[in-house]
Amino acid sequence: MSLHELVAAPFSYGFMRRAVLSAALLGLSGGLLGCILMLRRLALMGDALSHSLLPGIAVAWLVFGPSTPALFAGALFAGLLTALGSALISRLTRVKEDAAFGSLFIVFFGAGVAILSRLPTRLNLEHFLFGSILGVSGSDLRLAAAASGATVLAFAVFQRSILLETFDPIFHRATGGSGGLAHFGILALTVLNLVAALQTMGVVLALGLFLLPAVSAYLWCDRFGRLLATSVAIALAGSVAGILLSYHAGIASGAAVVLCLGAVLLLSLLCSPRYGAVARLWEFLRERRSVRHAP
Amino acid sequence: MSAPNIISFRDVTVTFGRSGGQPALEDVTVDIPCGSLTAILGPNGAGKSTLLRAALGWLPLARGEIRIGDAHPEHALPRLAYLPQRHAVDWDFPIVVRSVVEQGRYPSLRPWQRLGADDEERVERALAELDLTGLADRQIRRLSGGQQQRVFLARAVAQGADIFLLDEPFAGLDLFAVEELTHILRSWESQGRTVLAAVHGLELARRVFARGVLLATRLVAAGPIETVLADVNVDLAFRRARCIHDEAIRSAPPAFPA
Repeated sequence: MSLHELVAAPFSYGFMRRAVLSAALLGLSGGLLGCILMLRRLALMGDALSHSLLPGIAVAWLVFGPSTPALFAGALFAGLLTALGSALISRLTRVKEDAAFGSLFIVFFGAGVAILSRLPTRLNLEHFLFGSILGVSGSDLRLAAAASGATVLAFAVFQRSILLETFDPIFHRATGGSGGLAHFGILALTVLNLVAALQTMGVVLALGLFLLPAVSAYLWCDRFGRLLATSVAIALAGSVAGILLSYHAGIASGAAVVLCLGAVLLLSLLCSPRYGAVARLWEFLRERRSVRHAP
Repeated sequence: MSAPNIISFRDVTVTFGRSGGQPALEDVTVDIPCGSLTAILGPNGAGKSTLLRAALGWLPLARGEIRIGDAHPEHALPRLAYLPQRHAVDWDFPIVVRSVVEQGRYPSLRPWQRLGADDEERVERALAELDLTGLADRQIRRLSGGQQQRVFLARAVAQGADIFLLDEPFAGLDLFAVEELTHILRSWESQGRTVLAAVHGLELARRVFARGVLLATRLVAAGPIETVLADVNVDLAFRRARCIHDEAIRSAPPAFPA
């Protein structure tokens, strides 16, 4: 297979151009958001949140058919319901917030799977769960562009506020920053991007596009700006490579993107010169040796 | 006491949860003189951190009033600098010393504005004042405990604050770093800056601070540190918090200096 067949030829198809453009746009915003979710230790919550969007999408599909605004509204509603519901449960009952969130999202996810498996549609359940390169319509692409644009704009304008709220929320608030707004803004952007990533990544794997590049970049960078830039670069490369892999190997696009990004993470975990496993192990062994030989 | 007061607490009452709940601070009335080095003392749960947070204007007061200079805390924010407790910081955060100190300039910038020459100069001066210039490009984990402390003090200096609210600044520091911090605080005092710090160790407070505020939910004593830490006051404060070891606290030297 020539390089042309491998990289360029697939994009002669319209669906491939839409899929790769959508993945790249979401890689851009996902790479940014992932860093914040990781640093604020919201990684698992983000994953749960993306699972909980499913029933909203399913009901919207059932009622309105494949209309992008309806799917988006449904997903947003389901996400808000999970967040508010778990807050309410933890206030009103003995159950703690994490357990409430964990229980609620799994029930939501189950309900979504149940509704979708009863749906008389050509699209099967797998596409919603794991993504498909065939599914990206023109309006999906517009949603991805809007989500990506809004995220990049928010980061460009409020970068300092986002950094402060992530690094030291107490200082942020003490110096007159509106912490609640920054926090809510990040969550809203996360839901927006998760919904936009639905077609290419699927609800189960969507957070991979956000989180994996951020964690990989975290192993290489000691500055916030460089972390964001590296994370975005990895997300862009991984999403394009993943879409191509999905095309050639015939696997779900969400899975293909996650596998490509997973390879970068594995490499980073092993090889990062300061924070990687090999470097740390080497340092540990050297220290032990030096202790043993000390007089 | 000739210096004018920079912070005045009048009948300050703060409750846990909604109003009507358990008070964290009750009817505390105390004045902090301008340019003083004051320790807030008391047993665990006496309201030391609460008093600092109330001064920053983050806690709704159930009763009473706090004034910074002539203003309500909200209008005095640029003058106030708060130093977080050590464990509140994520030391693995991908950030270097200079970037943390630059944060001190953020509040005075509009969202789209970049750091100007004046801001850069203030950051450089703050780094130099706290002897961090050579460490400016270090990630914050790769510093000693005392250096890490100084990074946040430098941020407060870069902010241009003249009132420093420090929450347990001596916790977790080794002997050398305690001496260093003491030196810094004393030099600030001589420059007319006001420092109000929650301090756990009474012996340490005696050595470093000129004035004290002893709390046990209510105000027990305030004034020169020796008067405040008279046996009768310490007894009162620590017994009110149902501490059964007050005898030991009073007479024995502390096990840990910080």
